[in-house]
Amino acid sequence: MSVRRFSPQTLLLLVLFVILGALALFPFYCLALASFKPSKELLRFGLNIKLQADLLSWNNYSFIFSAGGAKYITWYKNSLVITAVYTVLCMLLSSMVGYGLAMYRFFGRNLIFIFVLLVMMVPIEIIMLPLYKQMIALNLIDTFSGVILPFVVSPLPIFFFRQYAAGLPKDFLDAGRIDGCSEYGIYFRIFVPLMTPAFGAMIIVQALASWNSFVWPLIVLNSGEKLTLPIGLSSLVTPYGNNYDILIAGSVLAIVPIMLVFVFFQRYFVSGLTVGGVKG
Amino acid sequence: MKKALHYSLALALASSIVLAGCSSNNNDSNASASDSSKAASGTPTNLEFWTFNELHQKFFESMTEKWNAAYPETPIKLTATTFPYDDAHNKLLVALQSGKGAPDLSDIEISKIGNYLKGDPQFVPLNDIVEPVKDKLVMSRLDNYAKDGKYYGIDYHVGAQVIYYNKEILDAAGVNADTIVTWDDFEAAGKLVLEKTGKPMTTVETTDQWTYWPMVVQHGSDFLDKDGNVTLNDQGNLDVLTYLQKLVKEKVAVAAPGGFHHAEEYYGFMNGGGAASIWMPMWYMGRFTDYMPDLKGKIIIKPMPVFKQGEMRSSGMGGTGTVITNQTKHADLAKKFLEFAKVSKEGNVEIWKQLGFDPIRTDAWTDPAMNEVNKYTDYFGTGIFTFLDSLKSEIAPTNIKERTPAVSDVIKTKAMFQALNDLKDPKAVLDDAAGSIK
Amino acid sequence: MKWMYSQRLAPYVFVLPFVLSLAVFFVYPVLSTFIMSFQEVLPGQTHFIGWANYENLWDESFYTALWNSSKYTFWTIVVLIPLPLVLAVFLNSKRMKWSGFFRSALFVPALTSVVVAGIVFRLVFGSLDASVMNSIRHLFGFETINWLASSTTGMLVLVILATWRYAGINIVYFMSALQSIPDELYESASIDGANTWQKFWRITLPLLKPISIYVITISIYGGYAMFTESFILWSGNRSPNDIGLTMIGLLYRHGIEKNELGLGSAIGVVLLTITMVINVIQLRLFGLFKKED
Repeated sequence: MSVRRFSPQTLLLLVLFVILGALALFPFYCLALASFKPSKELLRFGLNIKLQADLLSWNNYSFIFSAGGAKYITWYKNSLVITAVYTVLCMLLSSMVGYGLAMYRFFGRNLIFIFVLLVMMVPIEIIMLPLYKQMIALNLIDTFSGVILPFVVSPLPIFFFRQYAAGLPKDFLDAGRIDGCSEYGIYFRIFVPLMTPAFGAMIIVQALASWNSFVWPLIVLNSGEKLTLPIGLSSLVTPYGNNYDILIAGSVLAIVPIMLVFVFFQRYFVSGLTVGGVKG
Repeated sequence: MKKALHYSLALALASSIVLAGCSSNNNDSNASASDSSKAASGTPTNLEFWTFNELHQKFFESMTEKWNAAYPETPIKLTATTFPYDDAHNKLLVALQSGKGAPDLSDIEISKIGNYLKGDPQFVPLNDIVEPVKDKLVMSRLDNYAKDGKYYGIDYHVGAQVIYYNKEILDAAGVNADTIVTWDDFEAAGKLVLEKTGKPMTTVETTDQWTYWPMVVQHGSDFLDKDGNVTLNDQGNLDVLTYLQKLVKEKVAVAAPGGFHHAEEYYGFMNGGGAASIWMPMWYMGRFTDYMPDLKGKIIIKPMPVFKQGEMRSSGMGGTGTVITNQTKHADLAKKFLEFAKVSKEGNVEIWKQLGFDPIRTDAWTDPAMNEVNKYTDYFGTGIFTFLDSLKSEIAPTNIKERTPAVSDVIKTKAMFQALNDLKDPKAVLDDAAGSIK
Repeated sequence: MKWMYSQRLAPYVFVLPFVLSLAVFFVYPVLSTFIMSFQEVLPGQTHFIGWANYENLWDESFYTALWNSSKYTFWTIVVLIPLPLVLAVFLNSKRMKWSGFFRSALFVPALTSVVVAGIVFRLVFGSLDASVMNSIRHLFGFETINWLASSTTGMLVLVILATWRYAGINIVYFMSALQSIPDELYESASIDGANTWQKFWRITLPLLKPISIYVITISIYGGYAMFTESFILWSGNRSPNDIGLTMIGLLYRHGIEKNELGLGSAIGVVLLTITMVINVIQLRLFGLFKKED
């Protein structure tokens, strides 16, 4: 490939991003490499990042997919179910609230917004005990619903959708009303398409958050067969020694689902795909 | 767009059905532990067990099989779950405080037990399974889980403190480990090792307590006295910290790379022959076999040096107690099962065989089964328990009290680092540390 | 059903999910946290102790934690807003090649489990001569240092870890916001003779304001809520001399590690107050509560 195809600016940009990309990927490279080695090798001489062909094998991965790794597969499935359900519900509900807060002036709006911020900033560590009692009262202990429901109308995406919608032209609201759309019709038919890039971003961010969530699922879930991936992986680390084999290979595999989500949904915020409505 | 909306709504609906389906589900799939009890005559009783170590879970599952074979009339179905370390304890605390959701049995690590002994302990007293065999157990290990004369937890191991020497390095310096009896001998040998090989004699933890604590209790003191008062700045503590700081200043000891003896950086350092010795409890053997493969056959295990003749040469460090919570509906059965698994001689032999721990029942140490070949005898040679038996009467107890988590915290974050890394005056460091504990 | 469609009622229908969630899941826990902050919480012996928790709060470790969290928040805002914003603009530009690949590469850190990434970070910033960062220092003639043992370098590593981990996510926010800027604005600016720099300064930046406010707000919140990174970097809540102790770390130490839930709740209430005050002031400065926004 000839370098001359690129303008100097482009070349400069490329150099910058190659460096940044390499820095970003370095830890992952170490882990991916370590996942193909016996765990002892990673620590044997400090950080060992040499490619040693004779040490590389699929052993750690084949262990995960053998009987011994059955637990891992269970954790993985549970995380997939929780993440999928959470993300869908969260998008639907949070975008409505954010849109409502951005588009309408109504009594109590600022108060509700303050509460959104408040819920966002309450440290989970501190409401853990009372929230657990609440879950007992609602009979949601040791259920996926108990993991998902308290956080499904999530303040972070509400705030994001509110900010995103605030940046959109309000003329559409009036135009929709003139066309005879109901308020909800305006939301679903006009603004949801306009907010596609916001949905793209939030699906990625919230799916990631749910996939990695740790503190709350751990408190709610009791049975071994319902535990999620981050909990399972962390249980391999103890003060009396770690199980590095599954830990490292397992966390490399854990990247896959959200990476797919990212690759699929990022197209919604790439130039040129913007929905027609904004141009005008 | 409308289609997409319907689709997502349908998905939301469908998923809520999935969710609803989950909530009525009770755990029935984790039956591997009780498969062998099919022939049992009685209906199995469900017992739930929480731990933070997968190996403990496997141990209890195998003990369930043995129980069901031995007592077919009262079979047990054990549902054991491993949670991450810190969070296993948080979860149990939350469940105990809210009075609902706790398991029948649970593991509690020794540094956390203080939290559970505050107020009214929410556990079933175990005196009736402990007291009949009092003379056969290392009782100091049970005192750690006791309050007001009631025993609440049974430990897996003694955690006998020992010193591991790298014989290759000692030989290169012409030092014989058996001649190191006192800490003065240790210092002199260390200087020789440093001079001959350029390597430090040992490493000290700057962000953990396993270097300092055993020395303090073997020197006759502790962080807390029997009544739970802070003694962190008494003469015994000061002697030890002053000695450790001297080793560091002389470069006979170096701060452990990574700050403590469980850091990834540390394993690599030791595996490459970074220092000639390390003192840690018996359970550290597993760290050698797993992460320091290149030292196989080079490590010898010896008693700890002493400050003056007649002091104890070991102490019980670390540990994990199994408790029975007061939310259990089967207290009697749970107690009998716990006795079977962790108090009986057979159970204690299994603890060594399966977990590689030095069990708390001393008459198990001389059992022929303890000399069977396993990965530890491969690495360290046979005779581990013959050695341990010779230390039987010299295992100094620790005082674990309600303030233990607070003291541990200040030791780990402040005192060790200030004295052994910043090289501040040991007396000032300890006075500060003791003063900060309310 | 017709009343549900009225323009006056519609906003309440839109915000209903949040109100319900608040009522069912948060009112009781938040209130009980306030109550617990006036109690000594002991199994079976919980009782009120007035303001004692709030009086016991103000010790050295509280100030250390507050100072650390504030420093961390400050630096993450200084680094993690301009950098991703500019990178997002580059990635969005038509000049950029293989933008998709680079976007993914920068996003991978957010996906990598912190538990295991922590192993790599601890080794890269290890205290031995052979650790990656110390080897780099040697190249420039500097000596080996213990990165995770001093307050300055410890904070540096924390901010590097945060940048590595969160830059990709902030890029996602900014990229999505860039899509709502109409191309016509740029086109007409070009016709007026504006250069790239002027376009960035006069069009891109002002129109990114709503999302920038969002990113600033969550960075303040995220900065004060930081705990995991510190926990991972020092393999626990136990950095030497508390150089990595954060507000949540302090809350965790008291509320959980020492089981003083009352004191922990009081710390939580103070932390909540601090972040709310900072954010409300900041949002007010950006005009978020004005009637006409």
